Amino acid sequence: MAEEEDEAGFDDDLDDGAGGADGNHGKRKRLFSKELRCMMYGFGDDQNPYTESVDILEDLVIEFVTEMTHKAMSIGRQGRVQVEDIVFLIRKDPRKFARVKDLLTMNEELKRARKAFDEANYGS
Amino acid sequence: MADPARIKTESNSENSLAARESPKTEDTEEVPVTSDADTESKDSSSQSLKREHKPDSVAGDDEDEGTSDQPASKKLKVEPEKKKEKRQKVDEDEIQKMQVLVSSFSEEQLNRYEMYRRSAFPKAAIKRLIQSITGSSVSQNVVIAMSGISKVFAGEIVEEALDVCEKWGDTPPLQPKHMREAVRRLKSREQIPNTKHKNILFH
Repeated sequence: MAEEEDEAGFDDDLDDGAGGADGNHGKRKRLFSKELRCMMYGFGDDQNPYTESVDILEDLVIEFVTEMTHKAMSIGRQGRVQVEDIVFLIRKDPRKFARVKDLLTMNEELKRARKAFDEANYGS
Repeated sequence: MADPARIKTESNSENSLAARESPKTEDTEEVPVTSDADTESKDSSSQSLKREHKPDSVAGDDEDEGTSDQPASKKLKVEPEKKKEKRQKVDEDEIQKMQVLVSSFSEEQLNRYEMYRRSAFPKAAIKRLIQSITGSSVSQNVVIAMSGISKVFAGEIVEEALDVCEKWGDTPPLQPKHMREAVRRLKSREQIPNTKHKNILFH
């Protein structure tokens, strides 16, 4: 499958022949194993997903974040990643766009509520 | 999005800091399962459907206002209020429906729903990853946005892989072949960003 060829080619670039144990993404440590397992169960997979599937998903997520970061760096203010750039890049995907809007709105509300509470606390 | 937990914290904000101190350290959307009914549903496609319907109904209201004889300035003031009322009413309906739904979950479904709501990428790791790519620091909002859409992205892949798994007559747990076929399908729908391949228009 083309997907496998892509991954094999990428591995060749990264593997510097110093004895990478699993041959996937060189010797990078797994960043999200625990969280991804919970996430996969939440999204409908089995309670114990296969480790290989979790690895594939982690690689995909890291690649997604990398791509988005690179794109965000190339638009708006060059060399920096700003929220407006991310929102702009995501505008065509309704699900992600709505999710980002919700998260940012909720964060603002929480900040406001915390600030109001702190001021009330300080006054009393 | 109307979040009953959010509405509750607004009224309780002067009372208990402890209750909301935990959201500070955890994901902003984290909500205890027992106290909520939320617009978020396990079936995210129905959620995006609901969202698409909402703007439609609001747009319909605007057109009704436009045909009445009110002066332009007054029309502008009245419309946002009516829109807000309508939106709040729709949110409340959604909240009630979610409450009814969640209250009828079996224990296994409750577990899965709790995992769905609570699981999140660690902010520190995402921040480190982004900063290693940009070379400069990024704001907190960027990290929040990026982890949020990464979770949605992971969800899209898992859902597609489950479709593939069912179509091929297999059972969960998902195997790598399901994941790869899911990625292939999403790529053809351009839901997976890929800047490595350049489209040469006129060869």
